[in-house]
Amino acid sequence: MWPKLARRIFAAALSAACVFPLGYLLVLSWARDWSFPHILPPRLDASVWSRVWDGGSGIGASLATTAGIAATVALLATFSGFLTSRVIARHPHRSRFVFLAHVPFAMSPVILGTCLLYLFIRLGLAGHIGGVVAGQFIFSYGYSVILFLGFWNERIHALEELVFTLGGSRRQMFARVLLPIAKPMLLVGFFQTFLLSWFDYGLTIMLGSGRVVTLTMKVYAYIAAADFYLAAACATLLILPPLAMLLLNRRLLLARI
Amino acid sequence: MNTFLRVENLAKAFRGESVLRGVSFGLESHRTLSVLGRSGCGKTTLLKSLAGLLEIDGGEISLQGHRLNGLRPQHRNVVYLCQEPLLFPHLDVWENVVFGLRLRGVAETELRTRAEELIQSLELAAHTRKMPAQLSGGQRQRAAFGRALIVQPALLLLDEPFSNLDPEIRAAMQQLFKRVARQFAITSIFVTHDLKESLLMGDRFAHLAEGRLHVYETREEFIADPLTGVGREIEFWNSIRSEAMYAGV
Repeated sequence: MWPKLARRIFAAALSAACVFPLGYLLVLSWARDWSFPHILPPRLDASVWSRVWDGGSGIGASLATTAGIAATVALLATFSGFLTSRVIARHPHRSRFVFLAHVPFAMSPVILGTCLLYLFIRLGLAGHIGGVVAGQFIFSYGYSVILFLGFWNERIHALEELVFTLGGSRRQMFARVLLPIAKPMLLVGFFQTFLLSWFDYGLTIMLGSGRVVTLTMKVYAYIAAADFYLAAACATLLILPPLAMLLLNRRLLLARI
Repeated sequence: MNTFLRVENLAKAFRGESVLRGVSFGLESHRTLSVLGRSGCGKTTLLKSLAGLLEIDGGEISLQGHRLNGLRPQHRNVVYLCQEPLLFPHLDVWENVVFGLRLRGVAETELRTRAEELIQSLELAAHTRKMPAQLSGGQRQRAAFGRALIVQPALLLLDEPFSNLDPEIRAAMQQLFKRVARQFAITSIFVTHDLKESLLMGDRFAHLAEGRLHVYETREEFIADPLTGVGREIEFWNSIRSEAMYAGV
């Protein structure tokens, strides 16, 4: 009985620890005049959320910018990483390329952004959405290659050969066999590279040069301005879409863990 | 002799090591060539070279009078079946079997007619909507056969297809293959390291060792050659029988 009770208490505590940050942010975004020693906010209203959606704060535009950049980076990184990993998996010098794919992870995104900044200024990419996409793509592409390397095993190779001997072309092999089999992994890759871009701050601030304003930058800006209620609203917007994606693909994503 | 498949001086090496040396043989249509060889002797390399999945270092391959050298696998009309059934995990049995016909854009009515006849022959009618994970080893192997046969290949290459099955299922699959091979007039090469299986499955016989293929004119010649090990096998079972009889006296 005690171990069962202890397990229940542990599960409840773990669930509360996971849910608390989101719950707290939601409450903070609806709160007004919440100060010490009040444990709960004295009043709640929607004035902060009105400011979020009225266009004046620019949060809606930042949300769209963040979503657009993340979706573009995820799409590019997923498919290019999938195809690149196929080439690397079959290459005689595979280990060298695997090492190269890890290089972007050896440095933090801010360092990577600093290293790329001069080049991007010369190329006219600094301060543009294209530059931010390119910088985040470098990071996400390496991650995607490493993720998909495990897909190209001997069984997949044998399936490819089978399709060829059954008379299939390379295009048919991809469309009818490889992509359907890889679909769960592609979705996981898309989701994870989407998140890498969605939550990025370092690369965006370096390569965006302050002109590409994403939600993460808005959060930091409002915290710096001591507007915690608006920062909480932005942080809620940051968390909710990935959470929705996770719930939609729960069966698929959690099965990979 | 009507030589359907002709192979002359086939050679293949990996990193300087010769795996196939001067392999030459001919095979008539609607016959099964049984190739016996121990593991690692080059059986898979031979079949993959014929299928076009490996580039050969020398030799000539012709099928039905057409030269296959340099032709891609999808243009050879040669299907290679490996040890594992390798059904497509995202397709049910029906879609696995008709896969090759869908690649060719065959009309639905013709596809259905051909598939139903074949599925009946392979005793899979009750399993068409199952996914591969729901099938037994023997059922998967039958579905793999169906997928290969439905495209009516000129040559079927079987790389120890029954080696992963238990003895009872294996025996049933051997009989099924022989029946289906006769029914659909298949020309095939069946490689195995199992002596009994090589004798059961073939109409013609060959032994592959150290990269060289020796083709026998008759089954008796195959049995008589000490290299094949048939003689040793017979002696072994005779000695077991003698011991049993002596113990019973």
